[in-house]
Amino acid sequence: MKILDFILLLAVAIAIPGVINRTRALLAGRKGTRFLQHLYDLRLLLRKGAVYSTTTSALFRAVPSVYLGAVLVALLFVPVSDLPPVLAFDGDLVAFAYTLALGRFALILGAMDTGSPFEGMGASREALYGALAEPALLLVMGTLALLTGCTSFAELFATESASGNPIVLLLLAYVLLKIAFTESGRVPVDDPRTHLELTMIHEVMCLDYCGVDMAFIKMGGWCKTAALAVLAADAVAAIGCPHWWFAAPFAVVLMGCSVGVVESTQARNKLVRNTTFILTIAALAALVFFTAYLLQLNIVLS
Amino acid sequence: MNFELLVPVCFAAVIALIFAVPLRAKAWVSLALTGIGAVCASARAIGVLATGRSARLWSFDSPLFGHDTGSMDGLSALLVLVIAVGSVAATLYSRGYLAHHLATKSPAHTALHYASLTLMSLSMLAVVCSDGGFSFLFFWELMTVASFLLILFDAERPEVRRAALSYLIMMHVGFVLLIVGFARLSAVCGSASFALLPAYFAAQPVLPLFLVFLVGFGMKAGLFPLHVWLPEAHPAAPSHVSALMSGVMIKTGVYGILRVTAAVPAQQLQTVGYILAGLGIVTGLWGVVLAASQNDVKRLLAYSSIENIGIILLGTGIAALGKAAGNTTVACCGIAGALLHTVNHSFFKSLLFFGAGNILSQTHTTSLNALGGLGRHLPVTGLLFLVGTVAICALPPLNGFVSELLIYSGMLTGIAEGCDTLAAAGALTALALIGGIAVLAFTKLYGTVFLGSPRTHAVAEAQEVDALRIGAMALPLAGILAVGLFPQYAVQVVARATAFFGTGHSILPTLPPLCTAVCRTVWILVAVVGCLAWMRRLLLRRRTVAQGPTWGCGFTAPNVRMQYTGESFAEGLQSIARPLTHDRYEGAPVGASEIIPQAHNYDIRHRDRIGTLFAAWWVEALRLLNDRVMRLRTGKINHYVLFALAFLAAVFILSVLDLL
Repeated sequence: MKILDFILLLAVAIAIPGVINRTRALLAGRKGTRFLQHLYDLRLLLRKGAVYSTTTSALFRAVPSVYLGAVLVALLFVPVSDLPPVLAFDGDLVAFAYTLALGRFALILGAMDTGSPFEGMGASREALYGALAEPALLLVMGTLALLTGCTSFAELFATESASGNPIVLLLLAYVLLKIAFTESGRVPVDDPRTHLELTMIHEVMCLDYCGVDMAFIKMGGWCKTAALAVLAADAVAAIGCPHWWFAAPFAVVLMGCSVGVVESTQARNKLVRNTTFILTIAALAALVFFTAYLLQLNIVLS
Repeated sequence: MNFELLVPVCFAAVIALIFAVPLRAKAWVSLALTGIGAVCASARAIGVLATGRSARLWSFDSPLFGHDTGSMDGLSALLVLVIAVGSVAATLYSRGYLAHHLATKSPAHTALHYASLTLMSLSMLAVVCSDGGFSFLFFWELMTVASFLLILFDAERPEVRRAALSYLIMMHVGFVLLIVGFARLSAVCGSASFALLPAYFAAQPVLPLFLVFLVGFGMKAGLFPLHVWLPEAHPAAPSHVSALMSGVMIKTGVYGILRVTAAVPAQQLQTVGYILAGLGIVTGLWGVVLAASQNDVKRLLAYSSIENIGIILLGTGIAALGKAAGNTTVACCGIAGALLHTVNHSFFKSLLFFGAGNILSQTHTTSLNALGGLGRHLPVTGLLFLVGTVAICALPPLNGFVSELLIYSGMLTGIAEGCDTLAAAGALTALALIGGIAVLAFTKLYGTVFLGSPRTHAVAEAQEVDALRIGAMALPLAGILAVGLFPQYAVQVVARATAFFGTGHSILPTLPPLCTAVCRTVWILVAVVGCLAWMRRLLLRRRTVAQGPTWGCGFTAPNVRMQYTGESFAEGLQSIARPLTHDRYEGAPVGASEIIPQAHNYDIRHRDRIGTLFAAWWVEALRLLNDRVMRLRTGKINHYVLFALAFLAAVFILSVLDLL
């Protein structure tokens, strides 16, 4: 069961980029690439050699493994609705957030190691946005803990008590989706397809990676997106249909379509507006928490 | 032999011995004396922690101090271990660090430094073992004076004298408050022992005495807004002294706050919990934002100490709220997290300050904007500093993660079980933000100092330090790895120490399984990363691996000055956090209308807004008042006789009028 959960998460991670590409192609009136084109690209990357900058040290070479490793370990905590995750203990919510932070930390240091002003720029932005998104993520966890009375992912979504107020759960899913947008460097925070290094965030940090290293970082990015998307889908599933066969495809559709639609219809933010955007997510998370708290008080009182 | 005689004689003997031995041997004698003290105290501490029973260390009646006792319970024992490791490492490190100063300083100067170092270590050990009262105040003052002398090592520099003086003044303001607190306790309960605090709090209003102690101990701990001495004193002091003060000495302030908090009865603990958690949030956020704004290695580390004190207080506050609400899980998680973070912080902060010392002694600068690429030239220091950085950012798999996880579980349990939900949620948000900004501050520090290319020639020619200093750094490193990779044993030790908080031994069933799970996670993380690194190696084995310049995005003449600096790295945060700092500019930046810019000299300093609090109008007013009062000091004996007469007359008149 636990292995099934992990395999399902990997499948979601592989499917999401495909759905994003399909949605974008559909909205632009193109035929689009193969559904699994990104896997073929990945195979290509894994077969390549590497060129390293003379400025970089051994740390730079270790970064992709640390990043992917951290994200994979974070995946071990994520349940797909009623499927139990591989690792579970009281407070694993925090472990999840901090393993993701380890990945971010590694990537930032890798960027700083190249000595490039562009990569420093990306690193600085990633560090700031990550710092501001952290309270939002933990407030979401706090709200879930408040709703269910549990402090472990496995219990949050598995128990029957998870069926909290549908509005609160929907809002939580919305906030999680927004955090997923921020963390995976998507429009409106960051544009993965931009051609100007000065305005990049996530992509510019990986400019000096190639081959296997680039493949690792790409895989890490997919897994990170999948983890947050599945959490959002879990929150929606908890409303009426807490089963893995609903949550997993729903996560793919939710994340894939919303990213595809947003990227086809919206431009990215001006960089100075990003801080406001992320702080708004945190404020929204605080609001959701407060709503949940008031609702719970009401239940207790009546 | 009585106490008043014994202690000064011992300390005089220590000083005389250090002054008497030859110059080269002073460090070793100091190390030996500190080591003896540390080993004896640690042996007792391990005994106390192993059996769980507190030990009586001294007890006597003396004509001056009255009845005085010293004992060691779990909390004291834990602090003793922290102090022992920290002082031995600092003394060991000082040998190599001061080696090149031996020629420039007079032997007496060096002897004074080592004597102070030894006395400070020994007095800290005594402070945490005193049961309160006058021996506590005596050792506390000894610790302050010794650390003052330690800061003054480079007394030729005016900023060092200034920092040391402001430290001495602030510590004595705190000391006066402690005297007031203990005198009040002694007046009401008959003795000034910590053991009588619960009786006092049960009978008298809690808040006045609690606040007096909080400010008194908070001065030492670096509580907001009393932290202003920290970022001045740490850069001024030699690095091993910074490590000892930041890693160990400020923990004695935390120790005092913990002792007083534990004595507050559960009925009044809620208010105390709110005060502690609120102060923790403000201290932590202030510290971390200011840390991210600093462009000097040691100032950044000093502010990060303030941040960590905030986290420790946050944990204590949560524990107090949990105890007040009768929720043992919250109380245990909070207090265990706070204590473990106290231990952890002493490890990684010592390690980082030693690293800063290596940087300073090998490159003669601690300015972030002059360093860069040091990882190539100081590979071992670079690696050790990286470990300290990961640990202080509370990232898995190292020790900071374990203690913050415990504090977080306290908060989440508080939310889940409806124990002060809003306070717990506020603390949760604040701690998450503190953690996030800490990552920013420390990636900035590590990225600009150790990664990239050297920004100056001096940096490019730096060489690795001697093995002795690396050996000194290995001590805190061992602590970091032990707590991080085997948290379940560390938590057993800390659980023994939490008994003082009055939550009983119910901690034992809940925490070890959690820590075993954390241990499993941490090892899985290490294994996964290891496997991936091995796979990467395997994939690259048959491929061509080439070297080339960094991709400059089409620009072909990049130079080292174009690298992202510490200032530019934190610019985004700065734009949000401007209200917290008082920015000083020199020169002008490149204007937007300059199409072909001229050469500019532009300097920006982010000063602490609270730092100017103690240089505000009221300080000037006090000085003017002092000038007036000083007019009375004429130096003529007949005037003084007149004053005495006037005083007696005033007392007489007031007593006749029944006003006294």
